[in-house]
Amino acid sequence: MFTKTSRKPLALLAAAASVALLATACAESERDPESDAAEPFVFAAAGDIKSLDPFLASDGETFRYSRQVYETLLEHESGGSEIVGGLAETWEQSEDGTEWTFNLRDGVVFHDGDELTAEVVCANFDRWHNLSGAWQSSNNSYYWQAIFGGFAENEDEELPESRYVSCEATDELTAVITITEYSSIFPGGFSLAAFGILSPTSLETIADAEITGEEGGYTLPDYTTEPGAIAGSGPFTAQGWNRDQAEVTLQRFDDYWGEPAGFETMILRAIPDETARRQALEAGDVHGYDLVAPADVEPLTEAGFQVPTRDVFNVLYLAFQQETSEELGDLQVRQALAHAVDRQRIVDTILPEGGEVATQFHPDTLDGWSENVTTYDYDPELAEELLAEAGQEDLTLDFCYPTEVTRPYMPAPRDIFDVISQDLESVGITVEAKSYEWTEYIPNTDSGECSLYLLGWTGDYNDAYNFLGTWFSVKNDAWGMDEPELFDAMAEASGNPDPEERIAAYQGLNEQIMDILPGLPISSSPPSIVFAENVNPPNVSPLTQENFAEASWKE
Amino acid sequence: MLRFIVRRTLQLIPTLGGLSILLFIWLQRLPGGPEYALLPDDATDAQRAQLRRSLGLDEPLTVQYVRFLRNILQGDLGTSLQTGRPVMEEFFTRFPATFELSVTAMLIAVAVGIPLGYLAARRRGGILDFSAVGGSLIGICTPVFFLAFILKVVFAERLGLFPSAFRLSPGLSRTDLSGFVILDGLRTGELDVVWDALMHLALPGLALASIPLAVIVRMTRASVLEVLDEDYVRTANAKGLHRRTVRGRHVLRNAMLPVVTAIGLLTGSLFAGAVLTESVFAFPGVGSFVYAATQTRDYPVLTGFILLIATMYVLINLLVDISYSLLDPRVRAQ
Repeated sequence: MFTKTSRKPLALLAAAASVALLATACAESERDPESDAAEPFVFAAAGDIKSLDPFLASDGETFRYSRQVYETLLEHESGGSEIVGGLAETWEQSEDGTEWTFNLRDGVVFHDGDELTAEVVCANFDRWHNLSGAWQSSNNSYYWQAIFGGFAENEDEELPESRYVSCEATDELTAVITITEYSSIFPGGFSLAAFGILSPTSLETIADAEITGEEGGYTLPDYTTEPGAIAGSGPFTAQGWNRDQAEVTLQRFDDYWGEPAGFETMILRAIPDETARRQALEAGDVHGYDLVAPADVEPLTEAGFQVPTRDVFNVLYLAFQQETSEELGDLQVRQALAHAVDRQRIVDTILPEGGEVATQFHPDTLDGWSENVTTYDYDPELAEELLAEAGQEDLTLDFCYPTEVTRPYMPAPRDIFDVISQDLESVGITVEAKSYEWTEYIPNTDSGECSLYLLGWTGDYNDAYNFLGTWFSVKNDAWGMDEPELFDAMAEASGNPDPEERIAAYQGLNEQIMDILPGLPISSSPPSIVFAENVNPPNVSPLTQENFAEASWKE
Repeated sequence: MLRFIVRRTLQLIPTLGGLSILLFIWLQRLPGGPEYALLPDDATDAQRAQLRRSLGLDEPLTVQYVRFLRNILQGDLGTSLQTGRPVMEEFFTRFPATFELSVTAMLIAVAVGIPLGYLAARRRGGILDFSAVGGSLIGICTPVFFLAFILKVVFAERLGLFPSAFRLSPGLSRTDLSGFVILDGLRTGELDVVWDALMHLALPGLALASIPLAVIVRMTRASVLEVLDEDYVRTANAKGLHRRTVRGRHVLRNAMLPVVTAIGLLTGSLFAGAVLTESVFAFPGVGSFVYAATQTRDYPVLTGFILLIATMYVLINLLVDISYSLLDPRVRAQ
């Protein structure tokens, strides 16, 4: 039985709990729901940044940060995909496309007070070209290798020859970059965030910085984690990087050459979990986040949040591996599969508003898109007829899809897989489902383990080769198709420095590809981004390259 | 006692050695590799192969293991493939967050679980007993992510009482002395930081505490019930000892033996539970980092962190055994 004394601890516990509850309630009542100009804008990113020096990075989160702090020679127009001047006000290419002349903006100062000159630009490019040792690992110089190939002195015999020849400062504000041969990756390559220009003082500071350690244990130099060690010229300065909080703090740069940033302070905080990002926004802990799940767009809009629609700059496709499955080597079978899939249903039921059915392997926002490609409308009866003609009424195909991942072009892989599987089965095809985690999925699809699989790409820059060339420039195990004529035409188009001729060539290539039908382009999907009601959002970019200096608090 | 401690500490060597071999074999058998997670989707086969070479992953497993052992004997657990920073640095950057979260969860579990379990046993068959047993059953059965979701919806979104994510409010300035936010805040007198940290710990702490709390309630209840039926308790009551003495010295002290063991084991398992809780609450600790490392096949982080956590687990159990021997002299005699 309880006595008076035995009730005491319980009463104390209850009292303590009441006090704590009251205290928390009081603390909450002190919260100011209104934003003032000095309040930091907090944006939830899907992950922490890798390095303060964008050159070392190849991930979107590092580039989201670096685009606010460092500037490149060229960039994409605000809210669009056209290439426009960045640090270079204008630029021109030589007739053969090997010399690129950049006329730099006057009056650009770096965060440390240095001034932008052509020599500074050349010093940056020369530094990258002359990197050695562990800097040459593809993990530490991915985009240099993707655009310029190798280095001045390659230390790995598998590295290709460098495309970069030299950079010459012909006058204070004119830099001429020479490359070995024209490629369609230019001028888009000059807009990549990895090539953010550092100040001359920064270059001096990091001149001797080394990636230390041995194989399997390379350590990045300290400057890559020390805010302020290197300076860019962007609208924000890197004020702090609390790695223990996965938090990057940016401060408005008052001497910026362009419009000053709307926010005094901007904070990027990592919230990897999609649901946690939404809840943090709803709870008022953050003021915006990226990669909104399509299913959340409507509820968030109804709740008063702003979910601006980006233009599409990606494509999702269903690949037909022609070697893994002999049956897929038959064009009639591939055509049957294409007619069997109701892509409009995927767009209507799974993708966010603004999604569209893709008719070719890159979005219509890119030059080179053709109106004359062969299209494959949803027609299950025709699909059954084609299968019967090909003698494949009892066709069985394995179909791979990734788990625990979303991509801007593929917001709900499992749902997309379900719709396509149902469509294929309704025309008599037996589907054997295979699911893999992303790190397992890519090697399996790359090596031709899957007959059918879902994959796609978000463009890095505005050139059709960034899509078409990625997939169809050589024979590879991912597609298993051998089309020498197509590969030759791709190389020819990519190497043509005349923009008009190149675009015409891309249109022809798109038509050729859709006749061969190596896979079925499914859709282009606008990855959603969301902002709180009290924020004037920046122009949203189809390349997910928002300039947050354009954003501000509402009056 | 000293011999006991030394013997148990030496047992760490074969335990960690065996674990490291198992880890190496397991990681090697994991499909995929860091070259698929660290490089963009359009990386070429040549770029991926070059990355494997530069990371030394193309070498035989034995060569990699010998290199790993050589480094570990020099106190070097390698470098994270994701961040390019030493694994040890990454661990101790994030460990304070996980430690604070685990301690909070365990404090909640112990502070609520032991009194509740004790009272449930004392009022066996009553409403309190029924509620405690039923509640603990629900606590064990409820997935942490679901509980976390409910807690966030109710207490963060609807009531706005607690933050829904992070360890500290964004942009909050503080003096960092040791990485332990609360400890540093108390030392420097930054009480707003302490308060902010406690507010951020409340929901993840409660979510993480749910399972240990349920286990402690049930174990305390069962143990107290068992001890209450012992002859020595009857004897103590019969010879007229004060009720408080009987409950404190004879019932609770003896009933606590299995509970203390359970607390030790549960404390170790909190680190594992923290993986999910930290991910759901964007709490930047060891758990969420390990989760990310699993996604990117960051072998050095996975190996290093698991070995460090295993070491802690063994040490916590050693402490439990020591406290066990203090509670029960028979253990010391053995």
